[in-house]
Amino acid sequence: MAALSLAATACGGSDDAEGGSAEPAAADEATDLTVVMWGGEDQEMTVDALVMPWAEEQDVEIRQDSPSDYAKIRAQVESERVTWGAVEVEPNFAHTACENGWATPIDFDVVDVSAIDEQFVDDCAVPILEYAFTIAYNTETFPTGEHPTSWAEFFDTEAFPGQRGFWRYATGAMFEAALLADGVAPDELYPLDIDRAFAKLDSIKDDIVFYDTGQEQVQLVSSGEVPLIQAWNGRIFEAAEAGQPVANEWNEHLLSYDQLIIPQGYPNTELAQEWMDWFLNNPQAQADYANASAYAPVNEAAMEFIDDDVAIELPTHPDNAAQRASVMDYRYWSEHYDPVSERLNEWMAAG
Amino acid sequence: MTSAPDAAAAPPEAPQPAGPPLPATNASWRERLALDGWGGLTLPLVAFLLVVFVAPLAIIFSRSFTDPTLGLDNYRAFFGSPVYLNVLVNTFVTALLVTGVTLLIGYPYAYLMTLASPLWRSVLLVVVLVPFWTSLLVRSFALVLLLGNTGVINQTLLAWGVIDEPVALMRNFTGVVIGMVQVLLPFLVLPLYASMRSIDLRLVQAAEGLGASPAFAFWRIFVPLTIPGAAAGLLLVFIQSLGFYITPALLGGPGNIMLGELIVQQVSAVLRWGFAAALAAVLLVTTMVLLALVNRFVDLRRHLGVSR
Repeated sequence: MAALSLAATACGGSDDAEGGSAEPAAADEATDLTVVMWGGEDQEMTVDALVMPWAEEQDVEIRQDSPSDYAKIRAQVESERVTWGAVEVEPNFAHTACENGWATPIDFDVVDVSAIDEQFVDDCAVPILEYAFTIAYNTETFPTGEHPTSWAEFFDTEAFPGQRGFWRYATGAMFEAALLADGVAPDELYPLDIDRAFAKLDSIKDDIVFYDTGQEQVQLVSSGEVPLIQAWNGRIFEAAEAGQPVANEWNEHLLSYDQLIIPQGYPNTELAQEWMDWFLNNPQAQADYANASAYAPVNEAAMEFIDDDVAIELPTHPDNAAQRASVMDYRYWSEHYDPVSERLNEWMAAG
Repeated sequence: MTSAPDAAAAPPEAPQPAGPPLPATNASWRERLALDGWGGLTLPLVAFLLVVFVAPLAIIFSRSFTDPTLGLDNYRAFFGSPVYLNVLVNTFVTALLVTGVTLLIGYPYAYLMTLASPLWRSVLLVVVLVPFWTSLLVRSFALVLLLGNTGVINQTLLAWGVIDEPVALMRNFTGVVIGMVQVLLPFLVLPLYASMRSIDLRLVQAAEGLGASPAFAFWRIFVPLTIPGAAAGLLLVFIQSLGFYITPALLGGPGNIMLGELIVQQVSAVLRWGFAAALAAVLLVTTMVLLALVNRFVDLRRHLGVSR
């Protein structure tokens, strides 16, 4: 592999002529990296801030794909044709993928994670951003100051009439929210009492609207269709910046994070890990991303480079962190995702 | 639409609709497949279909018995849960209802197109075709903006004082039907219009000349001649309805989940591929059985212009 990379760099431009023939991938394998994220503006912001500065410095060609798709990861690994390099995934999937051999264990000699909170690091995964599941509300329906400020109030349809939005996804924090609303102490959330959570969800079932995507989430809450929604803080911040009547309530938010994995058998695993090491230990790059997206950096040192007006919208800002209910426990979710999803399906289909 | 020339050829056969088995049934497979010297030209096509259609289908089918364990576990999981059976029933009920509503709207529309002047005909055609060329996702999102509680329709009705509180037009069965009919209407209107255009309207005139009332002539002469086009369109709509998932996901409520949605979820979120394969197999087999049943009462082959 090293020899190949030398050959490729030595030949430089002249290599391109042959590139189109038999094995184009083999020729520049060592100098290209494919990154895969959820797509949309967030992917653009991530690539601009966290990927391109490194790629230009190292003369690496970046390829992109989107959105992350767990079925494609599994299919690529099983068919031994892995074209996806670093893929942004949810931590419960990262853990499952690691156990099933779909993701490569990270070489922590290459990737230095000493500056990263270890609860966000897994054998096969490193964190790329932190975000929060907040109570987002429409400021026209519920002016700031009169909006629900706890999950108990979020579930109180008498005091705050109107529909409630949740992500149609077991790990979308709706069970955590239901249990908090039902009086479970934040530090006793896990392992989740799923029966109790469903009982609480039952009490407002007719008022629940499920969304699948970030666009839907923002559309529902900003139009007032669903004035209360459990949302991703960054999306709501972006919408508010764009003039929509929406805001985040930080009290009792649930902290979450995304991770990066490298599918097992990716030819440029080494390069992918070099990039991981770079962005994890580059506070300036992470601050640039946070300034653009309002998603928090994973390296604490980045906080000092973040604009004041953005910092107060980050889950890691001291004021917000003090109001945190809990951190999502994805080890729990990697074990319980399948049966709980199944039950959620049945619960929804039961009308 | 291939049915157009056959539709013209259909009338001579009409006198003996449900006659004895066609002689073709006794012919050798060579004759039945029309494999004379020129028939060999279809072999590349057959090979293509085998590779890109039949083989993947066989793989998916076999996967439903082997992933994650060998045996019938996936099917047991499906048939053991009333919820999944409900989803299956809901899928077929939705598809049938959508097909029915599409016919109610599409038939008069296509008929209007045959009567209209060339200018209006083009206008009507454009009205059908432009949405047809627009992405399904965009159309479904547009309907969300129209049908929501704070959507255009409800806001307008509220402003006019027609209603006091928003009417639930989406996140329920109504929304699913409105959305799917809107998306699928062109698939009925276009074949129907093609078959209506090929009908010689002098036949209707002749019937009226012989004393039939216009309504009687329309019902006994015109409608039967449109059956091939209608059958083709209805089948297209019905089969496509069965596999819908984006529109019901956006416009329906949690109780309106369709099998297609469940399959997508099993494939990409839960990664239970064997179970997804079993769901797909159930959907395919049930559809086939249903078509076979329909075929016993209605000669689909003739109405679709397949028989010779």
